[in-house]
Formats: sequence, C-alpha cells, structure tokens
Amino acid sequence: MLLPDHDFLKPRTLAEGLDALRDAPAGTRPLGGGTDLVFNMRCRLVAPPAVVSLKDLPELQGVAESADGTLRIGAGSRLTDLVADPRITARYPALAAAFRAVASRHVRNLATLGGNLCLDTRCWFTNQTKEWRDAKGPCLKTGVDACHAIQGSSVCVALNNADSPPALIALGATVTLASAAGERTLPLADFYRDDGIRHTVLGPGEILVSVTVPPVTDRLVFRKETARQGMDFAYGTIAVRADGRGERATRLVIVLGSLTTAPRRLVAAEEKLAALGLGEAGLAAAEATVRDALGALTNLYSPAAYKRDLARTLLSKAVTELRELPA
Amino acid sequence: MSTDDLSVIGRRQPRLDGFDKVSGRSVFTDDIVLPGQLHGRILRSPHARARIVSIDTSRALALPGVKAVVTSADAPDLMFSDRQPLLARGFVHYAGEEVAAVAATDPLIAEEALDLIDVVYEPLPSVTSLRKAMQPGAPVLHDWAPGNVALTHDKDFGDPDAAFAASDLVVTDEFRSPVQHNTLAELHVVLADFSNPDKLHLYTPTQGAPMYQMQLAKAFGLETSQVRIVYGNVGGAFTGRGRAKPHHLIAALLSRVAGKPVKIKATGDEEFIMFRGSGETEYRFRTGVTRDGRIRVLEADVSFDAGAHAEWAMILWLPAPYLNWLYKVDAVRYRGRFVYTNTVPKGSHHGGIFGRLSAGWMQHLTHVAEELGMDPAEFHRRNAIDPGHHALDGSDFASCGLKECIDKVVERSGWKQKYGRLPPYRGIGLGIGAQASGGKNASNDTSAALVKVADDGVVTLYTGIPDMGQGSHTVMGMIAAEVLGVEPADIRIVAGDSDITPFDWGAFSQRGTFTTGNAVKAAAEDARAQLAAIVAPLLGAAPEDLVFAARRIHVKGQPPDAAGKSLSFREAVGKAFHGAEGRPIMGRGFFNSPRPSGSLAYSFGAQVAEVEVDPESGAVQVLKVTAAHDIGRALNPLAVEGQLDGQVFSGMSQVLYEECRMDGGQILNPSRLEYKLPRTYELPEVEYILVETIDPYGPFGAKEVGEGPIVVTMAAVANAVANAMGELIPRMPMTPWRLLRVIRHREKQNRG
Ligand SMILES: Cc1cc2nc3c(=O)[nH]c(=O)nc-3n(C[C@H](O)[C@H](O)[C@H](O)COP(=O)(O)OP(=O)(O)OC[C@H]3O[C@@H](n4cnc5c(N)ncnc54)[C@H](O)[C@@H]3O)c2cc1C
Ligand code: SF4
Repeated sequence: MLLPDHDFLKPRTLAEGLDALRDAPAGTRPLGGGTDLVFNMRCRLVAPPAVVSLKDLPELQGVAESADGTLRIGAGSRLTDLVADPRITARYPALAAAFRAVASRHVRNLATLGGNLCLDTRCWFTNQTKEWRDAKGPCLKTGVDACHAIQGSSVCVALNNADSPPALIALGATVTLASAAGERTLPLADFYRDDGIRHTVLGPGEILVSVTVPPVTDRLVFRKETARQGMDFAYGTIAVRADGRGERATRLVIVLGSLTTAPRRLVAAEEKLAALGLGEAGLAAAEATVRDALGALTNLYSPAAYKRDLARTLLSKAVTELRELPA
Repeated sequence: MSTDDLSVIGRRQPRLDGFDKVSGRSVFTDDIVLPGQLHGRILRSPHARARIVSIDTSRALALPGVKAVVTSADAPDLMFSDRQPLLARGFVHYAGEEVAAVAATDPLIAEEALDLIDVVYEPLPSVTSLRKAMQPGAPVLHDWAPGNVALTHDKDFGDPDAAFAASDLVVTDEFRSPVQHNTLAELHVVLADFSNPDKLHLYTPTQGAPMYQMQLAKAFGLETSQVRIVYGNVGGAFTGRGRAKPHHLIAALLSRVAGKPVKIKATGDEEFIMFRGSGETEYRFRTGVTRDGRIRVLEADVSFDAGAHAEWAMILWLPAPYLNWLYKVDAVRYRGRFVYTNTVPKGSHHGGIFGRLSAGWMQHLTHVAEELGMDPAEFHRRNAIDPGHHALDGSDFASCGLKECIDKVVERSGWKQKYGRLPPYRGIGLGIGAQASGGKNASNDTSAALVKVADDGVVTLYTGIPDMGQGSHTVMGMIAAEVLGVEPADIRIVAGDSDITPFDWGAFSQRGTFTTGNAVKAAAEDARAQLAAIVAPLLGAAPEDLVFAARRIHVKGQPPDAAGKSLSFREAVGKAFHGAEGRPIMGRGFFNSPRPSGSLAYSFGAQVAEVEVDPESGAVQVLKVTAAHDIGRALNPLAVEGQLDGQVFSGMSQVLYEECRMDGGQILNPSRLEYKLPRTYELPEVEYILVETIDPYGPFGAKEVGEGPIVVTMAAVANAVANAMGELIPRMPMTPWRLLRVIRHREKQNRG
C-alpha cells in the first residue's frame, strides 16, 4: 500500500500542462487533489509513470460570473471553496449541497471539481489492493474478459460514485475540455459513457478545464442517501430540476447518480411528472417508470434490489421536497 | 468507608495522560524505532483452500535490501498453536493465511520482494460460510473434525426438560449475526528484536503481556522471562488484542534470521484480513414461561464460525454461565458448537460474545412478554434477580442493582407513555444485561502492583494493566492517590513493560478496575502502613489513628494542619528516607479472587433506546438512549460516562452498521470507508444514570464498566428497531436494505 515510483510534473500554465501530457509516456495521468488517484495508485490499480498536477494552474482556478449570470467554474477549484462561494450558494443551494456532500471537510480541502467529475468508477472487486485483486482474479478493468459484478457482462459496470454530476447535469452545465490539439465544449450529460473503464469521453492527453453553468431560475433539489452523515460514498443520489411552482411543472430534468456506471437521466419519469403534475398521481406514475429506466443493476456496495427501491425513494423524496420549495 | 471520607475517588478526573495523548506526545509502538530496524511484510494466501505445490523465494532473496525471507521450511517446528504451523505448511486453509514473510531495509523493497516470491497453489474445494460448513457432505477442513465441528459445549443447569414440560408457554426464535471486525484506532503492529537469541523483545499493543509471553516462549522454546513485552500506549483493543497473532511470531522469526529488529505494520486493508472480531453466528433461543409470566427455563443453541482454527474456544463456553445471571429460573440449557470454515480464525468483537447474542436474546424475550400480553419491562423486572441471589451455575451476587436500573430507565425514558403507543416506524426498546468483573480463566486471576514514593513526595505506580483508551491508568492513579492522601497529579504511572512492571493478566474480562484496582489499593496501603509506622511516634498517635488526606497526614479528630499533630506528606516521606533508618517507601500488593472459579462481582444495567426507521429508505436513526448501570461505585464518573458513550456507539454500530461483506472467503469491504462504522454524527443523545451499589469486594466498592453497557445497548437498540418495524428482525446488522425489504414485502402483502 505504498505509493509506487512515478514522476511528478508541476506545469505553471495550461499550455505547459497540455504539452507535458502530450509528451509524457503513455498512462500519464492528470492529478487534481489526488484524493482518488493517489489511493488507486497505492492499490496498484493504476500505475502511471508520471502524474501532471493541474490544481494550481491559473486557467483552472476560480469562479467567474458573466453579465447574464452564466458561471464558469475552473476544474481546479477546491470543493471547499465552491461550497462557500456566494455565487453558488445564493443561486443554487442544491448545487452547493451536492459539493458539500462529498466526503468530509478534510477531503474537500484537497479535492477539486475536475477530480470529482472525472472520478474513476468504483467496484469492490477492483478498488482493492493488488494482493486482493490477484486473489480474486482479474476482470475487464484489469485486463481480461470477465466481470465479477455481473457474470458474463461484456462491459465494465463499475459505479460512478461522484456526487456533483447529477446536479450539474440537471442545470444543463457544459464542460470545456482541452488537449495540446485544441479545445472542445460539450454538455456534461454527454461527457459520461456507460463503460466503467472509459467512463468519460476524455481522449489521451485531454483534460477538463472548466464547467459552465447557464443561468437557471428553475427549482433544483439534490439528495444523497448514505450509511452515515459524511465521509461516505452515496448509495444513491438524485437531482431534480423543474420549472413552474407547487405541483405544476412543464419541463423537468431528473438525474440519478451512484446507482449505475454513468449518471442516469429519467426521461420517462420527467414526462409523467410534466403531464400529470408533481402531486401523488404524477409521482406514482413517474415512480412506475424507474424500474425500466434503470435496467439491470449491480450488487456493488448495496444489493440491486435495494438500489431499485432506493431510486424510487429518492425520486419521491426529491419531488416532494421540490413541490414544497417556496417560490 | 462512607463517601464523605473519600476525597479523590468519585471525582470527575480528566485523564492523567490526556494532554500527552491529544498533543501527540504519547508514544505508540509505531513511534519506536530501534537502530538497524528492518521492515517486515507477510505474503498471504490468495486462496480459501489450496495445496501448496511449491514455494520459490530465490528471486526475493536476490533483491538488494532484502535481509530475510522465511517460509515454513525455515521454521519447520514453529507452531502458532497446537495444530497450526506459524507459516503454512503444505496447505493453506484460508484467504489471508500467512505463507511467507520478508524483512528488508525499506518498506517499498519489502513490498516488492513479496511479488518476487513464487508460490504455486493447487486450489481445493472450500467452505467459506458457517451454513456451508454445517451442511451434510460439505468438504471437511481437518480430518480430526468430521462435519467440521471443532468443539462442542453442552451444559444443563437444573432439569430443563422438566421445566419445559411444566411451562404454560414455550417460544422459539432464531437469529443470525455476521462477521464483524473490531476496528482498532491503532492498526496491528509489532516491533521484534530477537537479535540476541537469549532475549526476545517485543514491542506491541496488547491487552495483557502474560498471554503473549507464554505464547512466544512456547513457540520459540524460551522461558517466559526471556520474552519481554513492551506495550506503552495501546490504541484500542475491544477483545482484538487478547492473544498474540501470527504476525507477532513472524516478526520474531524474521528478526532471529536477520539478526536485526523487525517491524511489521498492518496496512489498512490487511487489518481486516489478518483477524476478524467475530465470525458468523447462528443462534436459537427457546424459553418456557408460566401463564403469569415467570420464566421457568432458558435455552440457547449457538453455532459459531471459528474460522480455520479453533483459536478462541473460550467464546464457546462463555454463554453458558451468562444465561444464569439475569433471571431467577428453574433450569438453563446451553448447546454450543464451534465450526471450522475456510476463513481467518475469529475471536469476538467488542462486548464479547454476549453482546451479539443479546441483540437476539432480548428481542426473543420481548417476544415472549408480548405473547403473554405483558409489558416487557414488567416481565424483566418480575424475573430479575436480587442481591444475594445464588445462580444455578454457582455464581453469587453480593451486590445487584438490576431492578433499580430497570425502574430508573422505565421512569426516565417515559417508557409507560411510549411503549405500544408510538406512531408507525417509531420504536422503543428495552434491554438488560450483566457482566462479570474479572473471572478465572487460569489457575489464578492475579494482578500485582508496586508503589514507590520518592523523597519529594512523588508517587510512582508500577502496573501491568494496559491503558487501551479506557482510562485505567487514571483510575489506578486515583486509587493510589486516595489511599495515600495525595492528588492524582502526584502519581506517575509506569506501565507496560513485562521486564519492569509486576504481573498482571491484563485488561480483559472486565478485570482492570476490579482486580488490578484491588492490587493497586493493596500496594498503596502497604506504602501507607510503612509511612504510618514512621510518622505515628512523631505525632504521638497510633498508626491506625492517622488520616492521610490533602497531601497531609494528621491525627484523627485534629484539624489537618494541627501543629504537632500533622505533617505534610512530603515531610513524612522525607523523615522516612532521611531518618536514621534511611527507608525508601515501597509498597507492594496483589489481588486474586478467592473464588475457585467465576467472578466475585457483576455489573448490571438496563437501557431504553428510541429509534426512527425511515420507511422509504430503511435507514435507522437512534434518537435517544437512556442508560442506567449498576457498576458498583463510580470511581471516576467522567470516565464512566466516556465508557458509556463508547459502548452505546459500538453497540448501535454492531446492531445497525457493521458487517464484513464476504465473497468466497474474501472480504469485500476491508477499509474504514466501506466497513460502515457510524461517526459521531450518528451518536444519539445518551442520558446516564448511575446506580451505585457499593460492592463489598471491589476497590472502594467498584465493579466494572468495561463491557457491561454494550451488551445492554445491543439489546435495547435491536428491540427498538423490532418495535418500530412491528416484527422481530432476525438478521444483524439491520441495514437499510434488510429493513426496506421487510417493509416492501409487507406493502406488497397488504395490497393483496
Ligand atoms: C474517504 C473518502 C471519501 C470520499 N467520499 C466521496 C463522496 O462522498 N463523494 C464523492 O463524490 N467522492 C468521494 N470521494 C472521492 C474523491 O475524494 C472526490 O470525488 C474528489 O472530488 C476527487 O477530486 P480530486 O481532485 O481529489 O481527484 P483526483 O484524485 O486528483 O483525480 C480523480 C481522477 O480524475 C482525474 N482528473 C483530475 N482532475 C482532472 C482534470 N481536470 N481533467 C481530467 N482528469 C482529471 C485524475 O486523473 C483521476 O483519474 C471520497 C474519497 C475518499 C478518500
Ligand atoms: S464491474 Fe466488473 S469489470 Fe468492472 S471493475 Fe468490477 S468486476 Fe471489473
């Protein structure tokens, strides 16, 4: 459980960082706060020959607000700072709550938003020491055609356990990615892939530079279910956004986190609620769609049957909370 | 001695080592570095069961920096216990079993060397759960144990069959508890220096040095005194440090081979792999009662998962006497079996084996009361024992505040207004329990102590009892201070070095305060008598007429500073040492229970827990615990409250949270992130009620508060959840998914 040998690169500018990533040997990883990557290195789950520290790059720092209220959040921002940023807490308390839901203050003091959005997928057959994995035998993530979580699965079904994606996706956030070859911007919803190994669209040498949150006046609710209050990955999370007030809404975005390999949008549930309202009838109809929307679930960290029940519970609690929000 | 005469005992005394602990000055084993020290690592079996075809260590030995590599070939006679070689020989019987070990100049080199040891295994069919091991036709682990039953313990007290026949109602319930691990603040660590073959120095946290000394001496063919155990500060134990474990012996072996001190330090996950507190347990209770609610007979049938070796057979025997300690009954029956599985050998978790059984037993007895249409509080009270009770197992209870504890928690928790009247998914539960203060597990249950008084009045107390966080050293200091009439701040504690400190079995079986406390008291009294003999003529009084208080010695009936009739403690010590005799004051004392077996004193307690279950998520919140405990006299109420907080925490944690999630003999959650211990945020409000019976045998009337409360918490919390759910919850821990499954199942049935 000791950190294996590796080079540590600390570029001073974004351009320098992107060049370093292009020129570095294969497997080199960007490093945010390291609260995830360093542990995975200790476990020999990843063995990057070098890490490139991004968290102090000036281009990745801070929150900027444009005239129309759009927020640009640098990927190197520490969660501790975001939790306390008035531009976030005042307008999107539910987003601040999602940031605050991550681990504990000690971890958030190091953790970056970029690291949270790029957090590796988690699976209790692989997020173990090398000795443990060797005893269990390898899987898709560690190089052979087998999955211990769902026998016979041809893709890795490890979980996306990060707390901030659902709320940001619900807000319609976009992400700006950059590599030495150039920059691109895409919706955060399209950033994730249903594959626990290549779980984001990031290409080699590409990093997340910033997250842009458009101005939103809709209602937003975030909930997280865990075993304990703090210092705990979620059993499940949900973000629900809706226009209107009370039980009326015409446009909703509902995103579940931590239950699946990529955050899962509940389109059918959104439609039911928009059509029938946020009252008990709409909610019952929406809940009835959840099972199909989720499909097969894993027993990772909690039983699949519980995950299914929990998804409905999260939906019902979030919608109930949402319709009771003061206008 | 009435309370009025006590000046130190009964005070809310902060820990004497508190400042050192919180400022980081306290030295723990890992802080100790010996010259030339090497770093050891252990290669563990990846298989639950396999034949070892070959082991090749040559590549590891060739790695620069590697100073020793050992396998069973290097120590063919070295046994961990009678039937268990220290390093696997020919076969492995569990994932995590010690196969080889290395010592190197650097931890990274040691880690790399492990990778270079080539072991070829031929996997064999294994049984990795209690259920599987007990199935007919299951693979057999050891040829001496057909059916995988390692040991059985069957015990009848009275005539259970007749008592069942005479009962009006017989109720049976079954329960299951999981594998759990006693997560210790200080991970397992040992530093062994065996570079001198005539003396093995072992620095390690332990609950007691003698067991370790005996185990290591036996393994290495030494006399006990050739093994020195140094255990300065101990970061928690919870029964997890009662006996030496393989890493202790492996470090010694590596050190002998390398000729240098070797430190082995468990990694966070290894901690869960090398030892687990308790194994799976399946238990069934059957109780016979009369129509008017008198318990005639109690029966328990328990199957324990021992792991691959029956290292901790004691937990198999303990429940039999325990069943006798709470109720006046006609008969008791106990059937216990210890079952081999292809998993790491297990012991017990915080609370001993009876903590976990209690979570089921008390649910069962609540069920019995409800079948009778009785309030459970009334049912317990009606059957509870009184002081002077002589139990069927031979135990005697000189002091017993059980009924008063029940009455107090019933009153203070508002039980009568709440029980049966709470809204759905709110629950209230009552549990009761008892715990022995020490007990004979060997020819004696001795603790000894020495007290040395310097001529500046500073008192040094030598004790072998470890302070594992429970605050024993502070209480021992208070006892010495009380007897000598000085302040706790005047006491220096020297502890935890078997070459220096006097014999003490250690801190388990709740014997610290009671047994070591009595030894310290005796040693301090010896010192006081020596001083009194010297001072009495100077003050013109008889030695027995001297009062030691407030750092002074004065003649009874006189003011403490009466001229010519009093002296300061320091002056008195000076007179002894600098007088013609030149006598240094050194007191010695020891205590061993005069009973041939069992304990001299028992603590009792009752708790009421209130919980809320979220019917949508299955999550439980413990709202409040009202705890009344008869622990004898509370020597240090502050420490007692700390013990209560800790045990409420650990008790609710074991019932609601903790579970080693197992997959074919491998643990899926070997980390504190995934082994879900609650945090302080989850702790409920705890109301403490001390019922101070003054025990005739305890030091100043004290009994124990080591593990008494946790047994009761587990019962109260389990009962409260069952009450909220409206049915027994037979599987522990009561995780959200277990409760949600019950709730959803019920919803489905209600819908038709
Ligand atoms: C005890 C504990 C509890 C935790 N609890 C939670 C929790 O409750 N919720 C939760 O969401 N997380 C939790 N985590 C995980 C982790 O701490 C957080 O997700 C954190 O936000 C990760 O950020 P980081 O900056 O430390 O990431 P890092 O460890 O630095 O990086 C994580 C991954 O992202 C990549 N990466 C980092 N920055 C970038 C970038 N700008 N562009 C491209 N790739 C990048 C890295 O290469 C790495 O693969 C917990 C971790 C621990 C140790
Ligand atoms: S989900 Fe399957 S493939 Fe992915 S890490 Fe877990 S076991 Fe491996």
